[in-house]
Amino acid sequence: MNLSPTLAGHALARASLDACVKCGICETRCPVMAATPLFPGPKFVGPQAERFRQGLSVDRSLDYCSGCGTCTLVCPQGVKIAELNAQARAVMKAHHMPLRDRLLGRTVLMGKVMSPVAPLANAVLRLGPVRALADSVVGVARQAPLPVASVQSLGRWLAQRGRSRANGTEVSGPDDQTGCEPDAVGRESGAAKRGQVVFFHGCAGAYFEVETSIKAIEVLEYLGFEVLVPAQGCCGLAQQSNGLFKAASKSVLKLSRALRSAGPDLTIVSASGSCTGMLKHEARQIMGVDDPELADVSYRVRDIMEFLAELDAQGELPHSFQPVDATVPYHAPCQLKGQAMGLPALEVLSLIPGLTVTESGQACCGMAGTYGLKKEKYAIAQKVGAPVFEVFRQAGASLGLCDTETCRWQLRQGTAMRIEHPVALVHQAYGLGTCLATD
Amino acid sequence: MSEVVVIGAGLGGLMAACELAGAGLPVRLISQGEGSLSLSNGTVDLLGYAPDLVWDPLSRINQIAPPHPYQVIGSDNVRRAVAALTSHLPDGYLVGQASQNQLVPTALGAWRPTALLPASLAPPQPKDQSRWLIVGFDRVKDFYPKLVAANLSRTKIPGGGRVTAIPVRIDLPDNPGLPGGDVSAMTVARAFDQPDFAAAVGRQLAQAAGQAEADAIGVPAVLGTAGHDAWRQVSQAAGRPVFEIGLVPPSPPGFRLNQLLLARARQLGVRLATGARVTGFQANQGRIVQLTTDAAGHGQTYEPTAVVYFPGGFESGAIAMDSTYNLAETLFDLPLAGLAPVSQLISPSYSPNQTIFQVGVQTDKAMRPLTDGGEPVYTNLYAGGGLLAGAIRWTEQSGEGIVLGSAMAAVRGLLDGIGQDLEPKLAAAHGRRTQLSSSHPGQTPNWTDGAP
Repeated sequence: MNLSPTLAGHALARASLDACVKCGICETRCPVMAATPLFPGPKFVGPQAERFRQGLSVDRSLDYCSGCGTCTLVCPQGVKIAELNAQARAVMKAHHMPLRDRLLGRTVLMGKVMSPVAPLANAVLRLGPVRALADSVVGVARQAPLPVASVQSLGRWLAQRGRSRANGTEVSGPDDQTGCEPDAVGRESGAAKRGQVVFFHGCAGAYFEVETSIKAIEVLEYLGFEVLVPAQGCCGLAQQSNGLFKAASKSVLKLSRALRSAGPDLTIVSASGSCTGMLKHEARQIMGVDDPELADVSYRVRDIMEFLAELDAQGELPHSFQPVDATVPYHAPCQLKGQAMGLPALEVLSLIPGLTVTESGQACCGMAGTYGLKKEKYAIAQKVGAPVFEVFRQAGASLGLCDTETCRWQLRQGTAMRIEHPVALVHQAYGLGTCLATD
Repeated sequence: MSEVVVIGAGLGGLMAACELAGAGLPVRLISQGEGSLSLSNGTVDLLGYAPDLVWDPLSRINQIAPPHPYQVIGSDNVRRAVAALTSHLPDGYLVGQASQNQLVPTALGAWRPTALLPASLAPPQPKDQSRWLIVGFDRVKDFYPKLVAANLSRTKIPGGGRVTAIPVRIDLPDNPGLPGGDVSAMTVARAFDQPDFAAAVGRQLAQAAGQAEADAIGVPAVLGTAGHDAWRQVSQAAGRPVFEIGLVPPSPPGFRLNQLLLARARQLGVRLATGARVTGFQANQGRIVQLTTDAAGHGQTYEPTAVVYFPGGFESGAIAMDSTYNLAETLFDLPLAGLAPVSQLISPSYSPNQTIFQVGVQTDKAMRPLTDGGEPVYTNLYAGGGLLAGAIRWTEQSGEGIVLGSAMAAVRGLLDGIGQDLEPKLAAAHGRRTQLSSSHPGQTPNWTDGAP
C-alpha cells in the first residue's frame, strides 16, 4: 500500500513536513516519550522518518505512538506530526492487522451485543478467567478498564420517553443514586422555543455512557431547544486510530448522511468529545476523506460544552445556576484539545457559583482512544495517566470531570473516583435532578 | 463577550496575558502551538552588546542608537517588566538585576552577559584561581566538558585572572527511564525529577569535586523538568555550589520557565486556546472587531475588545517573504519598516548581521502599530516582541528585554485606553481588578497600582 496517491490527507500532511525546524518542542510535550524509551518521539517517527518512507514503512517503533495528537497541537510551525504518524501506521499495519485491533474498532457491535444483556455482559467482563483469555488470545490487557454496558440504551430511553409523553406520563431524568429531586421550575422551561438541534450520541453515548447523553439532551431541552436524535451509527474513530481507514471512512460517511437526515443547517451537538473530533478533524486531516456531506457535518458539529460557551458568548445562556459548593478536578482529553477550541468546559463551569474547577494541565490520560486497552501498551498508558490520576486524587474530591468516554473509564480505574462529563454539573446547577457534587 | 485576545504564547504573550488577567481583565491567549520559551535557556537578556560588552543594560537602553525598539519602549518599561516577571514566578526563582549584567559560561566555554537568570544557571562570582569542575554526563549530547573547560580556562575574567576549569565525565546511574543510546536533554532531565537519582548524581559530583579540589561544579542544564527542586537536591548532595550550563534547544531551563508561566496564566484565569492559528480578522471604524482561527471543523470566532499581538518575527513566520522577495506581515498586513532590496536584507555570508531581521512594525508609545502617516493602524491593536523593527536581537542579546518591555508598554497602553476607547463593560471588569500579588506574598504589586 503506497499512501501518496490514495490519501488526500497524506499529501496535505506531507506538505507541512518541510516546516519542521527540528526545534524539539513536540518532544518536550509528548506524553508517551516521557513514559517509555520504546517510543523515540514524535519528531523522530514523524517528520524525520517520513522523509525516508516514500510510502513504505521504515520503523516499527511508530506503533508506540498513542495518537493523542499533542505533538501537532504544540508545534509552533504547523507541522501535522500526529497526522503523518497515523497515516504511516495505517501503512505499516495494512498487511497484518491484529484481530484485536479490528475488534476494538467495532464499538457499535460491542454495545449492541452487551446492552440487552448488560448485567450478564458486565459480569462476564469482570471474570478473571475471561479477561485472562482475552489477554492471552486477543491481546486486550487483563487489567485494562473496559466499559460497563448500561442496562437501558439511549434508544430505549428515548422510545420509552416518547411513549410516556404521548400518554402524558413523563419519565423522570437519569437515575441518580444520590436521588436529587428535579427542580419543578427547571422542568417548566422545557418548551422548545429556540428551534431544533441534532444530537449526535456516539457509540458509547448510546450503550455505555447513556446517562451523559440523557443529561446533555435534558440540558438542551431546558435551554429551549427541540432535540432531534436521528438513527445513527459509529463515527469510525476507533477504526481510524487502529489504522483501519477503509472501514472508518465508510462509517464516517454513513454517519454524516444519518446526521444530515434530521434537517439541513441544523447545529449538531454531541457530548462525545472524541467522536466530535473525528467529524471535525481526524476524518478529513488524517484519512483525507474529501466529501461534501462530511464537510457539512464537520462545519455544523459542536461539542456540548463548546455549544454552551457559544451561547454564553452571544448572551443567550441563562446564568440561573444553583450554587455547587465543591472543588472538582477536570481533565481535558487530548482529542478534545486537538480541536484547538480552547477549553469550553472550564468557561461554562466558571459560571456556576461556588464551584472551583482544577484543571489537570496534563496532555493525555494515557487511554488515547483504545491504546490503553492493548496488552503491550497498558503499562505505558498507566504511566502516562499517572500525573492526571495524581491531580485528581490530590483535589480531595469524590467527583472528577472529563469530556470523553474511554478517558472516563481510564480515570475511574486510575482514581477510584466518580468521573462524569462536565455537562452533568451543568445539569445539576440548572436543577434538573442530578446531585453529584456537594461538599 | 468582552475579552482581550492575546495572540502568541512566547514570553511576551504569556507576560501580557498574566498582567492583563492580574489587572482583572478577561483574557484569552491564542497560539499556534507552544511559544518559543522552551527553546531558550530561560535567561533574561536585556542588552548584552552595543556593540561592545554592556555592564549596565538598564541605563544603556535609553542611549541606544536609532532606529531601535528600545527608543519607543524605554528603560522604565523594561524595569517594570522585569519586576512583573519576577512577581509571576516563585520567590527567588530568578536572580540578578536589570541594572547590572553578569557573565555566565556557555556550552562552548565562552562567557556571555545576561541580566537575570534562573538561580540554577547562576555560577558563583568567577575569581582568579577559582577551581571549577566542568562535568559532562554520558549520553547528554552537545556538551563537551574538555571544550568548555579549555575555553573557560584560557579566557580572562573581568578584574583580571582566569578561572581554572577541570573537565570530567561521569556515567549517570542506571535508571529505567534513561535508556542507552540516543536520548534528549529532556529525557535526562526527567530522570533528575526523581529525588533518589538527583541525590545519587550529587554524591558522584561530591566525589569528583573532592578529587579535583574544586570549589564549584558546572553541569549541563538537565537538572529536572519542574522548578529548581532537582537542582537543590543535586547541590545539597554535592556539598558545593552547582550551576547549570545552557544547552541547545529544547532546553530544560526554558521548559521549566514556560511551565511556570503557563501555570501562572491558568491560575489567573487566562483562557488558553493552543493549537489554533489566527487566520482572519474583521475591522470596523479603525478597530479590530473579530478574529477567526483555523480550529478544526468550523473554525473559531472571537470578538475581542482589544488585541495584543506577540507572534514573533520573521523566524516565527509572522513576517514572511514571498517568491518575489516581498516581505509582509502575515495576519493584519501591517506596514513594515526597514524594507530594502533583498540583496541588502540577506547576506550570502554566515554573518549574524542579516538585516532582514530588522524589518518589522513601528509603533507608538502604547505599542500600537503605525501607518506610514504615523497614525495607529487599528486603535485597539497592540504589538511587540520580535515583530518590532530595528533590532537584530541575538547579536545584541536584547531579545527578552525587547519582548518583556514591549509587553509591559502594550499592557499599560491598553489599560490607559480603558475609559477612552474601550467598551464600558471591559472598564467595569477592570474596576474589579484582583490583587496581582495575592499568590506571591512578599512581592509588591507592580505598575497596576498607580503608574506615573
